[in-house]
Amino acid sequence: MDFQNRNNTANKFVCPSDRQLALRAKLKAGWSSSKSSEPLRPEEQEAIISVIRRNEEIEVAERLRVGRLVERVEKIKQHAVERGPNCCRLCGDTFGLLRGHRIICEDCRQAVCTKCSLDINIRYHTSEKSREIWLCRICSETREMWKKSGAWFFKGLPKYDIPRSASATPTPTPCIGGTMAGDTRAVQSCHGTPTRPARIKKLTIRVNDSSSSSSHSEPEDEVDGGPAGASASNGSASGTGGISKSGSTTGGRLQRDDSFRLRAYGSIRSFIDGGERKLSNSFFFGRQQSHRPSECPDYDSVSMSSKLRRESSFLRRGSVSSSWSISDSSGSGNSGNSHTTQSQSQSQAQSTTQSQSQSQPYHQQQQQHCRDPLLGWLEIAISYREAFHSLDCTMVRARDLPAMDAAGLTDPYCKLNIITPEAHTKYTRWQRTKTVHKTRNPEFNETLQFVGVEPEELGNSLLYVALFDDDKYGHDFLGAAKVCLSTVHSTTQYRISVPLGAEDQYSNAAEMSQNWPNGKMLLSLCYNTKRRALVVNVKQCINLMPMDNNGSSDPFVKIQLKPDAHKNKKHKTSVKWRTLNPIYNEEFYFEASPHDLNKEMLILTVWDKDLGKSNDFLGSLQLGAQSKGDRLQQWLDCIRLPDHFHEKWHCLAPDNPAH
Amino acid sequence: MAKTYDYLFKLLLIGDSGVGKTCILFRFSEDAFNTTFISTIGIDFKIRTIELDNKKIKLQIWDTAGQERFRTITTAYYRGAMGIMLVYDITQEKSFENIKNWIRNIEENASADVEKMLLGNKCELTDKRQVSKERGEQLAIEYGIKFMETSAKASINVEEAFLTLASDIKAKTEKRMEANNPPKGGHQLKPMDSRTKDSWLSRCSLL
Repeated sequence: MDFQNRNNTANKFVCPSDRQLALRAKLKAGWSSSKSSEPLRPEEQEAIISVIRRNEEIEVAERLRVGRLVERVEKIKQHAVERGPNCCRLCGDTFGLLRGHRIICEDCRQAVCTKCSLDINIRYHTSEKSREIWLCRICSETREMWKKSGAWFFKGLPKYDIPRSASATPTPTPCIGGTMAGDTRAVQSCHGTPTRPARIKKLTIRVNDSSSSSSHSEPEDEVDGGPAGASASNGSASGTGGISKSGSTTGGRLQRDDSFRLRAYGSIRSFIDGGERKLSNSFFFGRQQSHRPSECPDYDSVSMSSKLRRESSFLRRGSVSSSWSISDSSGSGNSGNSHTTQSQSQSQAQSTTQSQSQSQPYHQQQQQHCRDPLLGWLEIAISYREAFHSLDCTMVRARDLPAMDAAGLTDPYCKLNIITPEAHTKYTRWQRTKTVHKTRNPEFNETLQFVGVEPEELGNSLLYVALFDDDKYGHDFLGAAKVCLSTVHSTTQYRISVPLGAEDQYSNAAEMSQNWPNGKMLLSLCYNTKRRALVVNVKQCINLMPMDNNGSSDPFVKIQLKPDAHKNKKHKTSVKWRTLNPIYNEEFYFEASPHDLNKEMLILTVWDKDLGKSNDFLGSLQLGAQSKGDRLQQWLDCIRLPDHFHEKWHCLAPDNPAH
Repeated sequence: MAKTYDYLFKLLLIGDSGVGKTCILFRFSEDAFNTTFISTIGIDFKIRTIELDNKKIKLQIWDTAGQERFRTITTAYYRGAMGIMLVYDITQEKSFENIKNWIRNIEENASADVEKMLLGNKCELTDKRQVSKERGEQLAIEYGIKFMETSAKASINVEEAFLTLASDIKAKTEKRMEANNPPKGGHQLKPMDSRTKDSWLSRCSLL
């Protein structure tokens, strides 16, 4: 076909020599390998590169479009008020009979009002029945974003740029590299990292000045672009340097990246949600930072634009770590920490000129940090003993925890678990510290040991600590913290003070892991100003204890107000026969003045009706001004906001208050 | 530049060399036809924006070279594609038989979610026909994909084929998003109990 070819490579019509055959056997490509290794002619290379460049322009436009979508969602999130469970998540309106209905969003399970939500019809393709679900504006916009950006297809948001005009400060000049738009150069650096050899050893850095304007996108994304981006660089690599058998390897790498991006996006999403704040962020950044140092020598050969990006990422790390107040107990000789201080100083030096290039998420994170009511701080000391494969976590102390009872005190304890990179909890049993009573600044000084933690696991696992308030009638969530374990070394003790964040799925899991054998009750309270009475609506109970031989119970609820100033009589619900999950929905009136309610206590006891012998006790619940946490909250809400029903689930305690 | 669009779908045309992939794309994007045969070098793409249900959809259609020697380049573009058109020539038995190999190629390289469609091109050449329409339909049923006979020269079904593929992808988008897997960030841990609790709550508040 082409005669140049014959000069370069062996004539394919002649049987290859033994040496060539041996080489091909190693490649496992067989006889046909000579066919595909036929190099591209220069004009063909040019044609392909021009197509790749054209594609690059479209990619830039697409990245901006996705960036606008992301920005739109994030703006809505920023404007969300998040005042509490009784207020709309978005506009902050309180719910009630006259005001907006409370609607639970299908995706985020948070309460919103009708104005800030929309209902969509879902048609299942299997059955033609359509179902109506409600979504809050944030979640419906997020769904739109996933649809429109193609994230639904790639299982993660594609690479995107936040439009420059929209951000308050313009990003620094992107065209320092001086290369033409869309010029892609693949630089491969094959250095193992000195600190952690188990890390990804091969790193493809895509130098692309159009992407350097994307100060927002994660460096990891730049390491290996989106599907089309990667394939473009792949294409150009094969275009210039002969065709390489890279199709299948690209596939594998892409899949990994997609999943990573999904996770990274998840973390961004959740800390914008106010869930994880800085910790998750640093967890995900932590992975790439640890192999930064190895890259440094290579950067000299790479264009300026990538240097710029590196500095911005250094900066990001510096700012994150400085706001963390890390205190290392035996600092020197620790490469990770010296790196931190180095980056800190670098960040200070660069902060005046480079502050614009800080990532958008960090800005948001900062805002989030200012806006959120802080749930307190937790001081932890972690050390790892390689010989025993055990991680010792010392809960030192906590400060400024939220108050849970009327006196402004709390009975806190910690629950600990390790979260694997797959976002699961490593241990089914959560470790628990002792409860420190009646304080908002507890000194735990308790060491809990996780056994069977492999050294490789440390790099990408999280220590999760959730603090709860200890109470007879339910353990209320106080705050949660996550600590990235990649900074923990076997030689030194790692001491850190972390801010406590809001509830998330892990704290829910921790809460679920507590066993409440006596079940739960849904109770709705309302102070009726017309009748000057407290209305108690016993809605339902779940998971009650079976007391009868048939494995179920015949439960009913007794309700009593104590001390009763108005001499109300005691009330009883009807008996629901042979069930452990009775639904009552029965209302009872207790005359009382709002002033009296401040001193009174509502006592609910659940009993199993037995004929011919005495009733069995199933569980109890006390609500009043002396209660704590959720129960106190409901009681006070009920007094503060009369004529509205306030509904909450409560756990039932095993002891009978009458005795 | 200022053209806005709601979705960007990336489509891919594959099939043996000379079946008319480039011509189909040329007909769709420029509504024109060129009789001279120019073999595609590696890859190429064309853009056309269409409208479906009041949504502007930008189609980026990748045209690939059918020749074996460009295979490594072309397979790199499989993964980014949301829809793939498999094209054969009804006047060439061999190109129809090779569809099986192309499908295997898709299975190896493309995402599992990709929408596929089978096109029998050059259907205006009825006197040279080697592959009957029924055989094409049969193969499409076998793989569970849609089938059309097209002609880039006579402009038969080209527009329809792309619109069908685009609307199938769009329908998939909606189905995927509104089925019970909403866009969650990485973690999927959710206590079962809270779900039942909340659904009960929301029902109750309507009473």
